Amino acid sequence: MPDIRISDPTLRDGNHAVAHQLTAAQIARYAQAAEAAGVPIVEVGHGNGIGASSLQVGLSREDDLTMLRAAREKLSRSALGIHCIPGFATINKDLRPALDAGVDVVRVASHCTEADITQRHIDFVRERGKEAFGVLMMSHMAPVEVLVEQAAKMEAYGAEAVILMDSAGAMLPPDVAQRVGGLTRHLSIPVGFHAHNNLGMAIANSVTAAQAGATILDGTARGFGAGAGNTQLEILVAVLERMGISTGIDLYGILDLGDLAEGELIPAVPTVKSISIVSGLSGVFSAFSKHVDRIAKQYRADPRDVFFELGRRKVVAGQEDLILEVAKQLAERSQTV
Amino acid sequence: MNASMRRMIRDDCSRVLDGGIPGLKALQGGVLLMTGGTGFMGTWVTEMVAYLNDHHGLGLRLMLLSDRASRFGASAPHLAGRRDVQLIECDVLNLVELPPEVNWIIHAAADPDARSHASDPLRTIRLNVRGTDSLLQAASRLGNVRKILYVSSGLVYGTQPPDMANIPESFVGGLDCTVPLQAYAEGKRAAETVCAAYRTQIRLPIVTVRPFAFLGPYQLLDRPWAANNFISESLRGGPIRIQGDGQSVRSYMYPADMALWLLTILAQGPAGAVYNLGSPHGITLIDLARKIVPLFPQPIKIVIRTLGPNAPRASRLVPDTSLAQKTLGLEIKTDLDAAIRLTLQWHHFLHAEKVTA
Amino acid sequence: MTRSTVDKLRVAILGSGNIGTDLLVKVLRSPHLDCTLFVGRNLSSSGMTKANSLGVPISDKSIDAILQAPDCCELVFDATSAIDHKRHWPLLEELGKLVVDLTPAKVGTMCVPAVNLEQCLDSPNLNMISCGGQTSIPLAHVIGQTQGEVDYIEVVSSIASRSAGPATRINLDEYIETTEMGLRTFSGCARTKVILNLNPAQPCIDMQTTISAQVRQPDLERLAPAVAAMVVKIQQYVPGYQLLVPPMLETNRIVMMVKVQGLGDYLPRYAGNLDIINCAALAAAEAFARHRVCASPTSKRSSHA
Repeated sequence: MPDIRISDPTLRDGNHAVAHQLTAAQIARYAQAAEAAGVPIVEVGHGNGIGASSLQVGLSREDDLTMLRAAREKLSRSALGIHCIPGFATINKDLRPALDAGVDVVRVASHCTEADITQRHIDFVRERGKEAFGVLMMSHMAPVEVLVEQAAKMEAYGAEAVILMDSAGAMLPPDVAQRVGGLTRHLSIPVGFHAHNNLGMAIANSVTAAQAGATILDGTARGFGAGAGNTQLEILVAVLERMGISTGIDLYGILDLGDLAEGELIPAVPTVKSISIVSGLSGVFSAFSKHVDRIAKQYRADPRDVFFELGRRKVVAGQEDLILEVAKQLAERSQTV
Repeated sequence: MNASMRRMIRDDCSRVLDGGIPGLKALQGGVLLMTGGTGFMGTWVTEMVAYLNDHHGLGLRLMLLSDRASRFGASAPHLAGRRDVQLIECDVLNLVELPPEVNWIIHAAADPDARSHASDPLRTIRLNVRGTDSLLQAASRLGNVRKILYVSSGLVYGTQPPDMANIPESFVGGLDCTVPLQAYAEGKRAAETVCAAYRTQIRLPIVTVRPFAFLGPYQLLDRPWAANNFISESLRGGPIRIQGDGQSVRSYMYPADMALWLLTILAQGPAGAVYNLGSPHGITLIDLARKIVPLFPQPIKIVIRTLGPNAPRASRLVPDTSLAQKTLGLEIKTDLDAAIRLTLQWHHFLHAEKVTA
Repeated sequence: MTRSTVDKLRVAILGSGNIGTDLLVKVLRSPHLDCTLFVGRNLSSSGMTKANSLGVPISDKSIDAILQAPDCCELVFDATSAIDHKRHWPLLEELGKLVVDLTPAKVGTMCVPAVNLEQCLDSPNLNMISCGGQTSIPLAHVIGQTQGEVDYIEVVSSIASRSAGPATRINLDEYIETTEMGLRTFSGCARTKVILNLNPAQPCIDMQTTISAQVRQPDLERLAPAVAAMVVKIQQYVPGYQLLVPPMLETNRIVMMVKVQGLGDYLPRYAGNLDIINCAALAAAEAFARHRVCASPTSKRSSHA
């Protein structure tokens, strides 16, 4: 067994970067190449997971089942994974059909203090004999003691791993070491880490997570993902290899995968733009950036001000509707001044 | 519940009772009320009492108190319909009065499902502490109560020290009281103190058992315990997924033994005594998986998910049962291999019944 | 007393938890309703203690309390659980009781007071759908009425984490599916989606709901005044209901936002989500009371004697 199990959400987190417009053909191409490279888990779907296609967070070009089937056809040794947020996705409408379509791994996610909403979904996945992970999103927003408690709940529900997400790209390596370390010391199930690159720390954070005991790491091709993007998978595999940590992934295969992604999936390779630095500093969900850009422009507000205000209000992922309210307020405030 | 399943349970009862029932004579002609009476433990006690009444003339009447008593008719009609079994629908938290003719009580009302402990630690604690207080308050006004058996939990010991092979009842242990997920264990521990208070202040005759883990018929496979997981994963064709290196050690008692032990401890255990209830024979999770897999016709993979270097060390949870064995003459009559075999047989019957239904 | 109890509709409240107790405080304030019985399962619960301190007759006999004294009331609020209501309804129906159901049992007629109160008076069992439903359905209805072809309606609510107890959390799916169904029924739009966010920020946030719609030909000139009028109508029975962002066009959709702050009767103010369903239930019961008084004022006096 490799030391680290890589989970690749290029076809899910990457969807945030293209406003959820990935096509079935693109998904099939990438999945096929990921299988060839030996990527253990390939995660597919709308950026906010199954059942999330909405006006709130963006309508996807393809429906969930089309996306899943396109990938399922190409994967045999690699597992097909999905992201699933209770509150967005229901068991009847979204999760059951996804499992029927052949999903292997379901990562059931909640805001980092609300793990108890994942109980039924995790239970359902385990009942169906598939792998269920728990995911704590925006995990910079809670101290390690709270994260340990929440992760322990997920373990009690039958989660077979807990993934900490730095959804805002707000963490620095010491934050990661503390949080991942706390979880690995208290849980009897594997711990994973999902980084974002808003403060240029994605690789460093992922390596720190591994050193703190994480055995699952997320990475995407060219870092394709929300906001400033994710941990760049090709770099991660190479660095881990240099450190003597095995992933089971073929180096040339993953480099080819990165090239393919750049050629066929990614309109603009992620860079850390000003707005991403601000969203990272303000601790707001990375995927808000496209919406903030759009709405701030409409109201002639400074998107950076919008982000800092959203951060001050401690908005969580899924609360994109508040961007409108904040932009409007800022615009009104500057008018009266 | 088809005839094969009923016969299986009867054979189990017969097998563990082989050697007579001198220890249970005190229960003759009595009235036993069991809270949590329609759960796993309650169902097995009912089966054992039914067998004892039918084949040994014990004449013990049963009152099964449960907040879902009405469902017992569907899950165990052969028991619910018996003349010596009465169902009482009641949540122990709301219990005010007990029928005056009750002279034996087993208080097993609890929710051992770790998922509920995680999502509703408040209800978990209330059920254990307030529920026990309500029950004992009602019991204190009974005219002729001979013994009350409180079903606690092996979790009250906290973490078993790595150098301790089997936990004796004398081990005080320790729980971190600031951890809400410990609500069940803390609740059980606090309830033991409530029992001790009722014993000394109100002079109620209370004996305690601390159950560990069980494996056998009537157990729901969806409960997230290792043995159940392994079996349900195998029934689905596998793979069996073990988190960590599989070196954690557990032990499993067969419920027919459990039922006889419970009744014997109720009848014979002196007030104030505490007994562990479980199997003293520990087995690593990986070895448990290896015992289960060959019993299936198709090959089943065992997948081990390694944890990082600073993960908690493999844990051990195995009781020392020499106190019950030496002082009450109790024995473990069903070894683990038989327990696994019988459990699989049960689920085979259950599945066949579902298919033909 | 300013008004004789003869004119008041006698009501019982089944369910002594936080919702039932908050409802009791509202009922006691109502000039149209008289609470004759507050029923639960445990006399030592805080709701029972509160009811007793307010001089309201209490019972721990659950539904049996009403079965044993069938003349105690004309209307029953059921604030227990869906499973329990399904058991209670046939028994209450046989006694000829009017029922306002605050559980997700979905047995009776869906009732949103601002939209279909009058039609509901013919039905003996009114179901209050859900908190998000009471908040958004009136506005979805207005969209359906004023916008011609409506393709899709979406409702996103954010509530304080502290206002979502174990029952809410374990029933998230049911909440979503029930509210989506309510939206479809009252808007006439076939495709609806409901999303719920829990936010743990302190101080606790009030309930905030965004209603968006995709319509063929958006007509804000018709929509805006209709929404304003509907908000005023809702505020008659939900004083803490506020239009935060009036209807506007954003990219390819109509959007509006509302906020609900609770009255703080027994539940905290930030639990606007729980308060609105109680306010709606109260409005439904008061409508029954007024309807009955209008229908037969003289026969009321003799039945009281």
